[in-house]
Amino acid sequence: MIEFVDECRREWRRLGVADPIANEMAADLTADLEEAEAEGGSAEDVLGSSLFDPPRFAADWADARGVTGTTKPVDPAAPPLRGRHGWYRPAAVVAVSTVGFLMALTAGAAVVARHSSAVAAPVRAILTVPGSTRLVGPFPFGLPGRYAVGAPFAVRGPGPVGMLVVALVFAGVVGLGVGVLSWWHWTRRGAGRRLS
Amino acid sequence: MAVPDGRRSQLLRGVLDLCLLAVMGEGPAYGYEMTKRLRARGLSIVGEGSIYPLLGRLERDGLVETRREASNGGPPRKYYRLSPSGKRALDAGVDEWEATRDAIDGVLDLAKAEVAP
Repeated sequence: MIEFVDECRREWRRLGVADPIANEMAADLTADLEEAEAEGGSAEDVLGSSLFDPPRFAADWADARGVTGTTKPVDPAAPPLRGRHGWYRPAAVVAVSTVGFLMALTAGAAVVARHSSAVAAPVRAILTVPGSTRLVGPFPFGLPGRYAVGAPFAVRGPGPVGMLVVALVFAGVVGLGVGVLSWWHWTRRGAGRRLS
Repeated sequence: MAVPDGRRSQLLRGVLDLCLLAVMGEGPAYGYEMTKRLRARGLSIVGEGSIYPLLGRLERDGLVETRREASNGGPPRKYYRLSPSGKRALDAGVDEWEATRDAIDGVLDLAKAEVAP
């Protein structure tokens, strides 16, 4: 009798039944079984054929009462979603996206606020070749290709502040992109490969 | 022909909830007490499933009300009694059972007449 009730408790724990409810059901069951035994009866008088399958009985009773917890049995055939991609954590996704967004926002604000050659020069350095030419447009007369530009576009070399801002912008954009891709991939896969 | 015990289980499964509501009509009772009341009226659940899941469903459906109270000096037990909607469900279920039983008796009486020597 004790083993039967203990098996039921284990099943209720596995099903996420709240402890007070599980304790109540166990107490009622124990009291009924003890009364049957005291009257010369058997556990089968109380449980019927359920006596021979404690987990099934416990699950049926908890399900009928609607007291199973949010934890549902997992399909053992399905690979665990988060175990296969250990880096795949919603919290990390949110953190990366937030950091990336803040970095991009900060760098962008710095660019707008300063708007000086110390900032502009490194940006142009990426888009130009050393000297006084640049690779792409605007295209005079509709023709692409190299052409001479004026002195203001001559590259002296970016300062440390400018390089920092460029690095922040780049890192922010990359971080934001990683976060967005991760969130998209995670929501697309779905949160549950579990039994309903 | 199907095993008689299998048929009995299927028949009982369809009306056991009505039987539990009916014995509750005599007064509040806990689980094992209801089993004893059924047995006193000739209905044994030995070999059948337990009544606890069924009681849980009746409670969840609002057909019974429950409360915990001491039982004959023993530990507190969960007592079940009919709710107003449970009383209505019992009355409707009894009418449905009697109509079905009469119809089946009509068919089986014919078979008995044919089988009789």
